[in-house]
Amino acid sequence: MNAVAEASRLVIHGMSRSFGETRALTSASLRVRPGEIHSLAGENGSGKSTLIKILSGVLRPDAGTLTWEGDVRKHLGSPSGAQRLGIATVFQETLVAPEMTVRDNIYLGTDRLFRYGRRKGEEVAGARQALGYLGLDGLGLERPMWTLSLAERQLTTIARAIIRPWRLLILDEATSALDAQHRDRLFDYLRQARSQGKSVLFTSHRMDEVLGLADHITVLRQGATVATMAVSEASRRGILGHMSGRADIIEVISAGPGPDGAVRGDRRRRPEAPPRPVLRVAGLALRATSEPITLEVRAGEILGLAGLEGQGQVEFVECLAGLRRAASGHVQALGEGGQARAVHSYRGANRLGIRYVPRDRRHEGLFGPLSVFDNFAVTLWSDFNRLGLLRRRVARKRFEEFTQSSRLVSASPGRPISILSGGNQQKVLLGRWIAMRPRVLVVNDPLRGVDANTKEELYGLFRRLAADGVPIVFLSTEIVELLTLTDQIGVFHEGSLVAMLPAETSSDTDVVAAMFGDGDG
Amino acid sequence: MASAVSGRARPSALPIPAVRQVVRRNSYAAVPLALLIILFVVNAAVQPQFLSQQSWAASMAVLCPTVLTAMAVTLPVLSGNGGIDLSVGPLAGFMSVLIAAVLVPAGITTPELIIPIVIVFGALTGAINGFLVAYVRLPAIIATLGMYLFYQGLGTEVLPEAGGSVPVWLVKLNGSFGPVPAVWIVFAVIALIWTLVTRGSYPRNLLAVGGDERAAYTAGVNVARLRLITYSIAGVLACLAGLMLTGLIQSGDGTVGPPYTISAITAVALGGISLAGGRGGLLGGALGGGVLFLIQELLTDAHVSVFQVSIIDGIVLIFALALNGTVEHLRRRSSAARPG
Repeated sequence: MNAVAEASRLVIHGMSRSFGETRALTSASLRVRPGEIHSLAGENGSGKSTLIKILSGVLRPDAGTLTWEGDVRKHLGSPSGAQRLGIATVFQETLVAPEMTVRDNIYLGTDRLFRYGRRKGEEVAGARQALGYLGLDGLGLERPMWTLSLAERQLTTIARAIIRPWRLLILDEATSALDAQHRDRLFDYLRQARSQGKSVLFTSHRMDEVLGLADHITVLRQGATVATMAVSEASRRGILGHMSGRADIIEVISAGPGPDGAVRGDRRRRPEAPPRPVLRVAGLALRATSEPITLEVRAGEILGLAGLEGQGQVEFVECLAGLRRAASGHVQALGEGGQARAVHSYRGANRLGIRYVPRDRRHEGLFGPLSVFDNFAVTLWSDFNRLGLLRRRVARKRFEEFTQSSRLVSASPGRPISILSGGNQQKVLLGRWIAMRPRVLVVNDPLRGVDANTKEELYGLFRRLAADGVPIVFLSTEIVELLTLTDQIGVFHEGSLVAMLPAETSSDTDVVAAMFGDGDG
Repeated sequence: MASAVSGRARPSALPIPAVRQVVRRNSYAAVPLALLIILFVVNAAVQPQFLSQQSWAASMAVLCPTVLTAMAVTLPVLSGNGGIDLSVGPLAGFMSVLIAAVLVPAGITTPELIIPIVIVFGALTGAINGFLVAYVRLPAIIATLGMYLFYQGLGTEVLPEAGGSVPVWLVKLNGSFGPVPAVWIVFAVIALIWTLVTRGSYPRNLLAVGGDERAAYTAGVNVARLRLITYSIAGVLACLAGLMLTGLIQSGDGTVGPPYTISAITAVALGGISLAGGRGGLLGGALGGGVLFLIQELLTDAHVSVFQVSIIDGIVLIFALALNGTVEHLRRRSSAARPG
């Protein structure tokens, strides 16, 4: 491929696509050059995912042109058609066949219907090499996919894309489940590919990734391209301004996340007397070899949890929710009068008011064909009924309160939830749990794949909930988020809680140090 | 039956890689295989004539259509998204009508003509099912129910009274060649062909589509064409079942086929195949057919009435589905507890 001779690898012009009444894409334009890493930025619902589905052959546009390496096309036909042209895509959702092996998942789609595309030996070598680039050298190729962690699955879908002979690699939020180490390995690989004249198009909600990796940025807003700029000329504030199109948001965001402490001013005031403890963890050892954990979570406290992938923080929240049994020790909910009741099961935890919001919203918790309102209210009917009859009006009122406080943008509460963007789906899911008036809210990376503005709104929701006295256990993969939102950050390393850092006086360096088992407490 | 359609793996201490691979790919079939062996021993114990050569060949002949229709249903089930083929029973039954009332009167009696006609007939019927499911996107249970009713009606329309004559070679397929039941040869031929097919990428594509259709599609698998082909193969297997059935009943009969649909679905469940798709293989369907047959043998020996057999079939179906769910649950839990 003579990359130098071509001015553009991919040019999109005036592309539009509607789903029923919803105009997902109105006039998108984009130009990707050879030897370039290009970032596609935009809020949830800006049309990024739709554009990426068109570029990967999943969807066909209603209008607009697509020029690939000089050839003008209406569409790419199918995913296999796009791959034949040299476009490989990693989708936002980790799409895997769970019963099949790692190798089968990586080479999925490279075969004819009855004939393998490659020999087994070539597949093994290719898969090892691709996983090696991504820092997963030791992963067993014959392991069934469902035994892998979420991060390993996501890396496997990346490996699936990069074993193909690609000239344009599209990554749609492909790093959302990865820890810092694996993300860096991936970025090294992308930079190396760029130096060979290949092109990368990626979306990320982590602004530091965009600024650190991309050469150019194209910003989409409400389905249209509003800006294209070189990263060297762009600022964090400028990009966020283009994304939101609202000047006031620029101010809020620039004062928001960031370890400079600007947000600390509007942090919720703590009352003078220490609030009563609501949740007690007593001598909980996650694994046979790990240190027992003892801690109390007080009313109104937001406890952050951090750790590199697979260090025990997920097991810990699952123990709190009654989904997992620890090697030893127990979790207790403490009543008003101080009486302690142990958590034995998920149902038990629910009865005690401990609500758990899981991580993978596609598989856990959303009912695609049901309406936005039904998805919100589905767990509430036990509260909203009289003699078994549903009190829709009361539920409707609670829903309206929620849509106002969360600024949920929704055409109509009667439409199916599947038409909402990912961030708005997450809002509904969170709203459902918050509306249940939990006594303790346990959330597992709730803002994964949510854009910066929606995040700010959701931070507000969490803060208000805590101000009402509900303690929140908040597991997150983003350190900045923990520093912004939480009171204390518990850091896990090799199955043990190794540090408990006060968020106000800690820096992200402190947290990272503790994550690598290097903290002093 | 050497089929190999499974993406399932389990760490194993077996020394020979090839053996390990076969075991791993078919490990879902461990429960039906154990059931088959236990039922075989029980049958042999309670009725001594069960093992005699004459009864052995006759048993195999009765077993054959059940096993082949079960295998036919297995493939659409594996393809996921509610895949199933209800039409296998009536389609198999219609073969007896086609042969006895249409082909033989028209002077078509040789295997060189009848076997290809039967195979093409099955492929075309299956392709229509597949087209309705994969391209028109009808739910499989509805599309194939339509085909079920169509062949049920067509069978009795063409041949209102059971009768007609069938070629001698077809009857012989249900006898034995020396000590070897002829049915074994039929099984061996199908097993050989299927082994050749599964050396390719078809199982991988099939299980990927059944496991996560969107993952398969976005990775580049032609999901619609795979489903079309899968239903076509199911149609061919159903018609081969019908061929053997024709030899067994030695006449044409439009009413003999439909019950095979339910027994086939029960056999699929007994074969350890998830009705959600994506896990299992053709071997499971065959073993499930064998298990179901041995259960019915035991009941017949105990002089249980036909109606009671039906009651017990229903219980077996529910039991098999529940067992599948339990085994699956235990498997996931034991693996989740394993570190790594």
